[in-house]
Amino acid sequence: MLKRKALLVLATICLATVFLFGCASDGQQSKQNVTLKFADAGWDSNKFHNAVAMFIVQNGMAYKVEEMSGTSTLVHQALKNNEVDIHMEEWTDNLTMYKDDVAQGAVLELSLNYGDNAQGLYVPRYVIEGDEKRNIKPLAPGLKTVEDLKKYKDVFADPEAKGKGRIYGAIPGWEVDTILYNKFMRYGFDKDFAYFRPGSDAALAAVFSTAYEKGEPIVGYYWEPAWLTGKYDLVKLQDTPYNKETFKAGIGDFPAVPVTIAVSKKLPEKAPDVVEFLKKYKTSSALTAQALAYMADNKASYEATAKWFLKNNEALWTTWVTAEQAEKVKKALN
Amino acid sequence: MSNWIWNFPEVMRFDIGTPIDKLVIYLSKNFDSVFRFIKEILVAFTQSIYYVVDTIPWWLIIILIGIWGWKSSGKPARGLIFSVMLFFIGMVGLWPLMLETVALVIASVIISLLIGLPIGVLVSGSERANSILKPVLDAMQTMPTFVYLIPAVMFFGLGQAPAVIATTIYAVPPVIRLTSHAIGQVDAEVVEASRAFGSTWGQTLIKVQIPQAMPTIMTGVNQTIMMAVAMVVTCAMIGAKGLGMEVLIGINRLELGRGFTSGVAIVFIAIIMDRLTHSWSEKK
Repeated sequence: MLKRKALLVLATICLATVFLFGCASDGQQSKQNVTLKFADAGWDSNKFHNAVAMFIVQNGMAYKVEEMSGTSTLVHQALKNNEVDIHMEEWTDNLTMYKDDVAQGAVLELSLNYGDNAQGLYVPRYVIEGDEKRNIKPLAPGLKTVEDLKKYKDVFADPEAKGKGRIYGAIPGWEVDTILYNKFMRYGFDKDFAYFRPGSDAALAAVFSTAYEKGEPIVGYYWEPAWLTGKYDLVKLQDTPYNKETFKAGIGDFPAVPVTIAVSKKLPEKAPDVVEFLKKYKTSSALTAQALAYMADNKASYEATAKWFLKNNEALWTTWVTAEQAEKVKKALN
Repeated sequence: MSNWIWNFPEVMRFDIGTPIDKLVIYLSKNFDSVFRFIKEILVAFTQSIYYVVDTIPWWLIIILIGIWGWKSSGKPARGLIFSVMLFFIGMVGLWPLMLETVALVIASVIISLLIGLPIGVLVSGSERANSILKPVLDAMQTMPTFVYLIPAVMFFGLGQAPAVIATTIYAVPPVIRLTSHAIGQVDAEVVEASRAFGSTWGQTLIKVQIPQAMPTIMTGVNQTIMMAVAMVVTCAMIGAKGLGMEVLIGINRLELGRGFTSGVAIVFIAIIMDRLTHSWSEKK
């Protein structure tokens, strides 16, 4: 009997709370209750740009913000399904379906965040020039172009394929992986080298940084800006100039990939001021690399790095927002 | 002051992340030759298994597995189903990838058994050893795999060697647990009787305890195999070739069909391996 009474009381309390809170939030349906979800595709520059935009949106425009993480394809899919609102870094050439989605209006492209990045095959500088301080001899002194690699298959020996060298390829599933593999076959590397897919960007970063710390030779795909290319002295191997016609078949250098800001098609009605702001958001590869290097050197959080960036680049970001919003952001920075 | 009641005091915070980073880098730099040696052994081992399965013609594998399935269960239909499953894997063009995966799984399972069975036997007699080992095994099974996957990459590079190690870490606990449990469960009177007839510790173990414990031990072996198969996709993230890589490529490109096909192939392999080894534990 007592038990039943207790249950009844509990149930009443629960119901009451639900109603009370429900009413409260119904009463003040302002934008403080609108949460904007940012896509986090997992790499550092994405998280950094998220932190910058989130800081401005949160402090300058009073939205709530949230990050949702997943692989690059998954977050793009989520953007299409309106589960995520904003993606600060769509690596357009690395996503097979991106162009169709923009053309069909499934996602809205707002701005070119930066387009002066680079990707390709990298080797540590000491492999070519040696490093006296670390007592490393130049193992491949004549290495300059991708083609030159053929002379040095023994330097980059593959432990799993006797007599062959190993080239670390791109992350399986990225568009560039297919292009790089085409290049590998086109340039006739398959006789002397194995094309090794690293499986994930964390694994690729780990294998590059351990090789670098140990002073061992390594050649593989990487891209700029990234903390790794910012922290270590890597050299991009030259290729024949970029050619729009043949590049997909693997001939010629990679073009810079347009890294765009895309938002879900619902964002304009949900948060028009944020759309205005993101349309003007524009950085560069160098700026991003600077921030990532700051982060790696200081082991700073993404938010701390974003604050550091905003403090040091006031002239840039104040052009993205209205004067009133800029004041609020500045106040939050101090 | 009130902060200390609601927030964990800042003063008591200490950083174990940085020392771990440093330790991993220190180990990978200074014990390079040791890791290289282990790596070469693992790669050679896995590749020789691959070489063996690769030299057997595909139709012979299908026939042999079919017969094995039939004989082990006594049901011809089961053997036929296994053959059809393998035939399907060949038809969707995944045969060579399946061999890569199977070689990796077999290598990891053999290493797991070489480590797990003796440890299981050794700790079976001691309550204390069991209670020390238990949390270690728990950690091996629940620690998110990426946490040790990346250090494994730093020590052993990318490819088969770290994949075998990560798979072993994940797959070895069941065989240790069940071996230890099984031997501990053997009737004390039976053991006593064998001792009374003058058997040594070793004789009792091999001739009495292990045969008695066999069905449970084989259940452990069976579970170890299943967990090794389950690691296939995770290992693809550190560059292990095979069906897992195909799944990874498929989902990364949102080519769902491609991912699904290789996923089904992995399931088929798991089913075949499970049923074949399961029959060992039922027979006795």
